[in-house]
Amino acid sequence: MNIKILDKDLRKYLKTKATAAEIGEKLSLTSLSVEKLEKFGDDISYEMEITTNRPDLFCVLGVAREAAAILPGFGIDAEFVPLKLRKPQDGKDNLIEIKNNPKLVNRICAIVMNVSLGDSPKEIKNTLEASNVRSLNNLIDITNYVMRIVGHPTHVFDFDRLNTKTLEIVEAKAGDKIITLDGKNLTLNGREIVAVDDNGRIVDLLGIMGLENSVVTKETKRILFFLDNNEPRHIREASMNLGIRTEAAVLNEKGIDPNLTMEALLYGIELFEKFANGKAVGKIIDIYENKPKIKEVEVSFEKINNIIGVKIDPVRASKSLKALGFKNNLTKTSIKVSVPSFRSNDAGIEEDIIEEIARTYGYHNLPSALPPIIDPQSAHPFVDEFYFEQRVKNALKYWGFIETYTYSFVSESLFEGPLEDAVTIENPLNEDFVYMRNSLIPSLLKVVSDNKSYETLKIFEIANVYIKKSNSLPSEILTLSGILKQPNASFYEVKGIIEQLLFDLGIKKIFFRKSQRGGMGASLYIDKDYVGEIEVLDTDTVNFELNFNSLLKYATLKKEFKPFAKYPPITQDLSIIVAEEIKTENIVENIKIQSDIITDVSLKDSYENSRTFHIIYQDPDKNLTNEEVSKIRQKIIHSLTDKFNAVFKN
Amino acid sequence: MDEDFIGIKNAAISFILEAEDLKSLEETKLQFLGKSGKLTLAIKGITKLPVEKRPAFGILANEVKNAIENALEQQEKILSQKRKSVLLKKIDVTNPGNKPLLGNLHLVTQAIEEISEIFKRIGFARIRYPEIDWDYYAFTSLNFPENHPARDDWETFFIKADPDKKMGRQVLSPHTSSGQVREMEKNKLPIKMLNIAKCYRRQSDVSHTPMFHQFEGLVVDKNISITHLKGTLDYFVKSYFGKERKSRIRPYHFQFTEPSFEVDVTCGVCNGYGCRLCKAGWLEMGGAGIVHPNVLKAGGIDPQKYSGFAFGWGVERVLMMKQGLELDDLRLLYSNDLRFLEQF
Repeated sequence: MNIKILDKDLRKYLKTKATAAEIGEKLSLTSLSVEKLEKFGDDISYEMEITTNRPDLFCVLGVAREAAAILPGFGIDAEFVPLKLRKPQDGKDNLIEIKNNPKLVNRICAIVMNVSLGDSPKEIKNTLEASNVRSLNNLIDITNYVMRIVGHPTHVFDFDRLNTKTLEIVEAKAGDKIITLDGKNLTLNGREIVAVDDNGRIVDLLGIMGLENSVVTKETKRILFFLDNNEPRHIREASMNLGIRTEAAVLNEKGIDPNLTMEALLYGIELFEKFANGKAVGKIIDIYENKPKIKEVEVSFEKINNIIGVKIDPVRASKSLKALGFKNNLTKTSIKVSVPSFRSNDAGIEEDIIEEIARTYGYHNLPSALPPIIDPQSAHPFVDEFYFEQRVKNALKYWGFIETYTYSFVSESLFEGPLEDAVTIENPLNEDFVYMRNSLIPSLLKVVSDNKSYETLKIFEIANVYIKKSNSLPSEILTLSGILKQPNASFYEVKGIIEQLLFDLGIKKIFFRKSQRGGMGASLYIDKDYVGEIEVLDTDTVNFELNFNSLLKYATLKKEFKPFAKYPPITQDLSIIVAEEIKTENIVENIKIQSDIITDVSLKDSYENSRTFHIIYQDPDKNLTNEEVSKIRQKIIHSLTDKFNAVFKN
Repeated sequence: MDEDFIGIKNAAISFILEAEDLKSLEETKLQFLGKSGKLTLAIKGITKLPVEKRPAFGILANEVKNAIENALEQQEKILSQKRKSVLLKKIDVTNPGNKPLLGNLHLVTQAIEEISEIFKRIGFARIRYPEIDWDYYAFTSLNFPENHPARDDWETFFIKADPDKKMGRQVLSPHTSSGQVREMEKNKLPIKMLNIAKCYRRQSDVSHTPMFHQFEGLVVDKNISITHLKGTLDYFVKSYFGKERKSRIRPYHFQFTEPSFEVDVTCGVCNGYGCRLCKAGWLEMGGAGIVHPNVLKAGGIDPQKYSGFAFGWGVERVLMMKQGLELDDLRLLYSNDLRFLEQF
């Protein structure tokens, strides 16, 4: 969350010669991030990012304290000037009874005052304008101004419009209706913190926004100045559910120091007196039931030095902590620290104290060192799954494929199979991203159709698919898929790509069989494992999808050297006419088993029902003679005729 | 016999000198030196001579053979040179070459490869963890309180499934940090892992995609300190972005680290002077920190004995910071418009 504050406001509470630019830079390095310095009239505005754990910095005083603590580390003198507050002359009677529920609100400080409505002075207007808050009138402006300076949200009721003897803090019921001060009609969900009057009328949505029925108007003469320190979870829930993200809500949901509540009340009273003819007529009300526990932490310098990585000077650490509001004392080997109430939600363990010491020492002052290389026991193989993944991607790239990255979640129309099998997102962003996909193909087909102007296209992707499992996490299967689209796309081209890919991965024993899915295409097996499919979608589109985890099981870089043959091979072609349904693989197998000296058989050519096989004969121990080879050839011819009714062409 | 050899030599040399191309030169070579070439036959004829005459003819035959071979070699050089210059004249060097196929790897793959390689050099091993994980690994074990906003329905994607009694709901990992406690549970110390994975958050605008990639480093050992985190960060920044880029860490807040840091790198466009693309010369790269003791405990590691650091940075983020790609909409990365993919 970002906050803008003015340099002049800051310097009321920070005595230093540092320039605004210096303050900005040093704060960024050691504390909060100052994102922008801008001219604002004759002033300078700082825009800062405040992390959610530091709501104490969401105000001028918090930033001043922080700056005063860190500037000396840069050799710049700085001093924090806290608010000087006096107890005002208040009335004898509360004028209203407040019944709190300590489960909902930690502390309530309030007072009834006479006031006159009017314009705000320039200094208040400037501060608000710099924070992008519109100036309305002095009464409302003061509440916003107090929040900006002290960091505690405040509220002001028109006491006469409130017109009640009691104010009770309760949880809203589902269905309760309210109108916010900006005129919005809302129905509550229940569990919101609200204040109700004598008649049970809801008059405030605590910690988030005031209501139309009790807000100050032009006629306001008396106010109830009201500060509520709320239980953060209730505020977060209510604010998110109602969609009201006021600064008060954002602050309250992070937890505000209840010790600030009274400080903010007193400061507000002072401002009403000064700028709205304010006069306290009621007695100051202070209902303080949940006091923050003071946390004590002891941390050894051995640990401090170990984590920070350099030797820290205890005296300097002690001084920095003190400036940040952490009271502490040193022992011989450690430091004992008590955490200030404004940090009680954020700090409480040794590491928190080390952080305070480290950042005031200055991260920029620490040296850089690489962690030691791990011992040989933790060696990690060079060739791992990532190695093969990259190798496959590179191969496909050099064969002309373009890699895509499509979303893991798909719409109903892109999900394959029954939706009850889908790993489904409970809270999808929109209807395009509902189901975790179980195949990459539909996503890739969508890429094809999104790129219609490409007549020829080769794409691929490696990503997980997700398979639902009962009572456990879904299984995530790394999957390699691709599409080849071109006029008359060939099954054999895709098959060839897969064969070469697997060959490059050192995978042997691969088999293609008629598709087990029943479509046009093939199923691929390695040994007995089913690893995927080639699918011919239409005359122009062939796709493939392989289980990459299965490929990884067999992938290897193991190399084997085969000694060169001493004697030359004899090669022959053999053309046969054979029925179409006879599989090439079966013919090849049949030829191979005819003799040990047949070292390779491959399909050279096929045309209609004729096929030509290329046969290599080679004897490791001697030169082959033509007579030997023609004997074997005869044997092959006999066998093929017997088995497949083959007819020989030459 | 003398004359035979001299005649052969003269004939051969004149043929050789007359040869106008390499092909006819090769024919000449066969004509004289081939299996049934004139010189070969003449040399075979020597064996038919009386023994005492053979040595003299042997010497002569050798001389002739050398002379022919020399002439062949000379002429071959001349002819090759000639052929080259003729060919060169025919080449129009501005005609297009015959290109082999070349596809494209996605920018994210290219970044992941580079990042993995850099961290590998300093001893990080890449490891994979589930993308869909239990709330326990994504949040609880990482010290997220029960009511933390990251668990809200409007920040993280949840899976429709019955929650596990111990592990909670199933979530699409919103960060790579979900791997931290899983790694610790392997019970092998020290740890030096790199996790690069898809992550998911419920947001989509010009600078966010609901699916994105992070790379996470985790080091756990004795005496691991902030200085080690700084060193690792510097090493990465200089290796990935270039030697001239600088890095820094600033205080920040994360649930699973204490202290926590925001990491900045000097802007590559203005070199750290400050421009419209950066904040006063710096670009935010991501978060890092010293592993929170509660996270170590969740992983079964004694925080009094061991310490560690972790970082998790966006792959898309460092990609943009490096390339100066200046995509005005990050969603372009996942649009899979081939006109985009083909550019890289």
